[in-house]
Order: sequence, then C-alpha cells, then structure tokens
Amino acid sequence: MTVMFPSPEWLKALEDKLNSDDRYAQIAKKWEGDILCQIEPDGLLKESLFYYLDLWHGTCRSTAILDAVPEDKPAFILLAPYANFAKILKGELDPMQAMLTRKLQVQGNMALMMRSVPTVLDFVRCAREVTTEILS
Amino acid sequence: MQPILKIDLSSRQIEHYRVPIAWEHDFIGGASLGARLLYSSIIATLDPCSPESPLLFLTGPLTGTAGPAVGRFVVCGKSPATGLWAESNAGGFWGPELRQAGYDGIWITGKADKPLYLWIADGVIEFRDAAGHWGKDTYESQDAIREELGQQGAHVAVIGPAAENGVVFAGIFCDHGRTAGRTGLGTVMASKNLKAIAVRGTGKIPIADPDGFRPIRSEANRMLKNENQSRVIRELGTAGVAEYADYLGSMPKKYFTQGVFDRVEDISGAAMSETILVGNSACHACVIACGRVVRLDDGEKHKGPEFETVVGLGPNLLIGDLPTITKLMELCDRHGMDTISTGGVLGLALLFFEKGILTEKDTNGLKLTWGDAQVVEELIHRIAQRKNIGAIMGQGTRYFARHFNQEAMAVQVNGLEVAYQDPRGVSGMALVYATSPRGACHNQSDYYFVDWGQADPSLGLEYFDRQAGAEKAANVAIHQNWRTVNNALVMCIFANNPPEEIAALVNYACGYKRTLKDLLLAGERAWNLKRAINIRLGLSAVNDRLPQALMQPYLDGNSAGYRIEFPEMLAAYYQARDWDAATGKPTKEKLITLGLEDVAQDIW
Repeated sequence: MTVMFPSPEWLKALEDKLNSDDRYAQIAKKWEGDILCQIEPDGLLKESLFYYLDLWHGTCRSTAILDAVPEDKPAFILLAPYANFAKILKGELDPMQAMLTRKLQVQGNMALMMRSVPTVLDFVRCAREVTTEILS
Repeated sequence: MQPILKIDLSSRQIEHYRVPIAWEHDFIGGASLGARLLYSSIIATLDPCSPESPLLFLTGPLTGTAGPAVGRFVVCGKSPATGLWAESNAGGFWGPELRQAGYDGIWITGKADKPLYLWIADGVIEFRDAAGHWGKDTYESQDAIREELGQQGAHVAVIGPAAENGVVFAGIFCDHGRTAGRTGLGTVMASKNLKAIAVRGTGKIPIADPDGFRPIRSEANRMLKNENQSRVIRELGTAGVAEYADYLGSMPKKYFTQGVFDRVEDISGAAMSETILVGNSACHACVIACGRVVRLDDGEKHKGPEFETVVGLGPNLLIGDLPTITKLMELCDRHGMDTISTGGVLGLALLFFEKGILTEKDTNGLKLTWGDAQVVEELIHRIAQRKNIGAIMGQGTRYFARHFNQEAMAVQVNGLEVAYQDPRGVSGMALVYATSPRGACHNQSDYYFVDWGQADPSLGLEYFDRQAGAEKAANVAIHQNWRTVNNALVMCIFANNPPEEIAALVNYACGYKRTLKDLLLAGERAWNLKRAINIRLGLSAVNDRLPQALMQPYLDGNSAGYRIEFPEMLAAYYQARDWDAATGKPTKEKLITLGLEDVAQDIW
C-alpha cells in the first residue's frame, strides 16, 4: 500500500506502526509526552500542517490533524519547513543533524528530550519505515 | 586593533605594542595572533617557567561587543605540562573589560622580585604588592583584590596556591570560577611572581562599521537564543548532553576502562536542573547562559559543574553524586587547578592502586578506592600542596606514570590529559586528540558535536557515522580550521550561529570584506603555524598518537567492541593536511601557500 507523506493515511500508518513495533515499545517505555509536528510551507507545501501524536509509554494513544498549535500546548513541538521533514523521512538528513544545524526546531522540556534521544531517533525510524512516497 | 600592553616584570618597563597590520589581517586575533607574535620566542631551549618565558593575554576583534558569545579571552605561552605550544581561554568579563580599558592584550615577560599584581584601569597601570594575597585561594584573592582596590566592578584574573606550588596543570581564574584551565599557564604566571591582573575599563569597544554590525549581531543573538543547542545548554548546562554521550558510549568511566556506570542519570544536566540548580550565570552579553548556580546542603549558592568536570570528577572516578562532584570541583577551583587534568591524574592513581602499582606505602597510609570522595578530596589537597604522593601527581599523568614505569597507562597525549569525550564513541575525537597543538584537547575541535550531527554544509562538512574511520579525516581538518577561527575570535564554541553570520560580524567589526573561505584559510594558516612551533620544539609524527587505553575496545556499553582504525585515519588526515608522513611537518609548499614562507624556511 502506498503511504504518502504528508497525508491523513500517513499519520494513521505511523500510529499503527508505533503501536505494533516491539523495538519502539521497548525503547520508548519511559516516554510521556505528546508531540506536534509543525510542517511549515515551502515550494511544495502551500500551508502549514499540524500533525499531532499522543505518545505514552511506548504506545501512540491517538493522532489528529489540527488547524493550529493548540492552546493547551503539547509537550513537544517539532518545527521545520516541509523540505526538511521530507529529507529526514527520506533518510537524507539525520534527525540529530537537523536539530544541531538549525534545520529542525524543538520546543519543549529539554531535560526530557536529552534523556530520551534514543526514543526520538526510534520514532523517526518508525516514521521512515511507514513512508513509501513523499510529496515532490 | 588597540595596542597590546607589553610589560617586563623584571624591569617594570611598559610599552604600547602595535601589531603589524598584515598579521592582524592574516591571523585575526586571539590564539592565532598569539602564535604569530610568540613564534620567534617559543623555542626548544626556553624554560616555560623562566623569566624569559612570555605570557600573552589576548582578546579578539569581537570581544566585548554585543555579538553572540564573545566574552572570552585567551592566554598563550609555552606549557610547563607539555613543553609545547600552550593556549587556554576563559569566559566571564575580564576580556571585555580589558578592551574597554583600551588594550587588546597584555604581553608579560620577566619576573617580579616579589609577589605583585597588576592594576590596569582607564589610563592607569600599577604594580601592586601581592604579599598579602600570595597563598590565598582563587575565590578569596579575587574578592580581596577588588576590596583592596575599592573597585567592586573590577575583574581579576588570578592564580591559586597550586600554581604557586608548581602544579603543572594550574590555571588562571577570573569572575569567580571562569577558567583558563588547560596547559598550566597559571604555573607560568606564578613563576613570574604575578598573582593577579585586575582590570577595569569604561571605554568604547572599537567597531569599524557599527551601523552594519548592529542588525547582524541583533539577529545573531535572537537566533542563538532560540536554537536547540543553546536551549539545551541554557536549561541543562553543558552536562545536559551526559545521557546522550552515555548512550553513545562516548562517556568514559573508571579512567577510560569501563563503558557502563549505573549512576549516569544522577549526574546529568537534567538531574542537576531537577535537584540542586537554582539559577544560571552568563559571560559578558551571552544569551546562552550555560553557567550553573546550585545550592548545596550548606544552604549557600555555589558554581555548578559543567560536562567535563561532571565526568572527570564523577563517572571517571565512579562518583555518582552531583553535590559531591560540585564540592570537589570547587576545591580544584579554589586551589586553581584544571579539573580535566586533575580528574585524569586522580583516575590514574585509583587505577594504579587497584592494580597494586601504588600501595599504602606510597600514599602515606591512604587507601585509594573507586568512588570514595573523601579519599579524592584528600588527594586534591595533596596535589595542590605538592605533599607526598601529591608532589608526583602534580606533575601530570605522564610524569606520574613514568615515575612508576607505567607510561603506557597514562591517558594523555603529549603531556595533556585526555578530555572526557571518548573517541571510541565518537571516532573523530581520535584525530582531534592526536593532532591538537596543545595535547589531548577537546576545544581545538569539538568534533564530537559533528559526530553527533552538527555537520554544517556551509563549512564543507559532511555527515559521517560517529564511528566511521579514515573517510572523516578531511572533515576533522576542516572543523579544526573552523575552531581555530573561533579561538582567534575567542568566540565560545557553543555559539551555534550560521558561519556566514559570524563572517559578516567579523567584517563589520574589522572593516574587512572577507568570505567564509577566507576565514577558514586564516584558521588553516594558524593551525599550521602552531604545528610549526611544536615541530621546532621537537614534536614529530611519532607524537601523533593515542594512549593505549583508547586503542582498546570497550568490553561493555554502547561502544563495546569498536576499535578505532587509527593508523588509517591518521594517514588520511596527513594527506588532507598536506603534512609529510615521515616527519609530521606541514610540507614546504603548504606553508608557502598559506603565506608562511619564513616558517617554511625555518622548519625545512
């Protein structure tokens, strides 16, 4: 099945993956915090997208596509132009490289983030594995 | 550039030295300019602790401006620990204050006939008696000198008792606990009977084009304040990366012999922020504010430890308690000793004792046990006082190990103790430690950040796997060149601004029209000049090595089993650098290309 990023199907596929992947379940077992991927428009994407994932102890409790950053802010917001999200999903940009070279902005509790870098990296692995096609 | 104040302590002669324009242009400032200025005087026959030995304090063209993370100054000379080129920089406010007093540097030679300190303020230069301050610790003496001067706004760079007693890894301290810690320049300062340099200035920092500079520095600070790395360091301190370093197997434990320690989560920056942290401290105009302020069980506020100290006095010694690490660090600070080297020599002592190389007979009855903070505290005192076993340990790990015929066990390169970013987890650090001009240093290139992902394409850096081999050699050289620019600007390496933005700031500050490529070339020029200084001091290809411990794979942890392909990496590095494989010298052609014809003539 083709799963195109970005799309509602992609978000659902990622939710299913996070709930069925044993490795993620193990690595993320201590993780407590929801994430909002704020995908900013560039040449290919005309308006901002807000993909929400409620992540809890190695599972994904729910996902949603929002219209904006909610008033009750999620624990983490990952913000980048579409092209950089696409590069990360294609494996052309390492997520740590993106964070350290100003290509992906992280907002949220940095103590939790630094204690949980392996979880973040495995989350990206899962996202890559469900992505079969990318808007280009 | 403003003049450099040249002071001969023997004759008390003072001169205002003007740096030749061509050198200012080619070497920018800071440590790079220091290498050019001291090139002719740092020679093999020079005793680092003789009156002839120079001690050069320098700032950079951005120091003291409102630019990003530019509050630092550097001290240069010849190291009593390594016998090689020495440089060490510190943050705080001392450097900006010196520039405001009208000087871009202070060049000390000679030896005072009795302990003194220098008082340098707008238009005032005084030699003042330091008899009452000699022997006082670095925190006390900063306060006492300010008090004596009646100048609470003065900033004081001091040495502590360890330097006075000849410990070769004694540093220069200012602004409470800001430290030019490495390579033993505090010991050089002590050998001149110079206890301190107090500065106060109210002048304006010169900027060639202030209207052009202003919007760029404003944007640079805005960006820096909000970017990820700054936010981690502001919220968690530099020890915020502890868990990640541990996860990658790049945090050494038990003196580089163990990959796992079950108390890492208790000593990280996150743990500090959740327990004893009560505030931040910042250098001049810095929006990052990495400094930690912690409250201990005495109810008082103290300086909190940064990553290197946390690891060096923590997992390196199997100590897993932040308040204890903080107290041990403060002890080192007060005595005036570098915590990286102190941690190294302590680790080696504990390992020697475990293996029976050192016994209670050698330690005057002290039983050295891993994780025993009381024993560590006692050893720190003995080192600073050069008392029994401390007299040997105070000569650094190389000397200490040689004394017991165990040089191979010392984790050092060319006399400088290895910092706590283990190359078995981040392999680029293997080349950094082996080729750094001041011994095993992590600030001549913090390549571990590149191995984690900070590979900025605008510098020409590629991203390689953290345990890749020879393919990353050219990348390491580029990063060293860039960090040499940082050390010329004396700009904090945590200023994660786009490199083009930094180039623009330099241009507006100095009135240049230089590209990023020009700056990288200036970095390469200075890197090779420092190499040439060391070649003249006797360094050769055989010195570009790693200690035995780092060549052994870890048996546990997330880097277990990985062996650094060092010979292949070094060969590729020499090729990337255009260095001669047999001698380790930069080729004649390379030196000429870099505009170092005189140097080429000297070493070939």
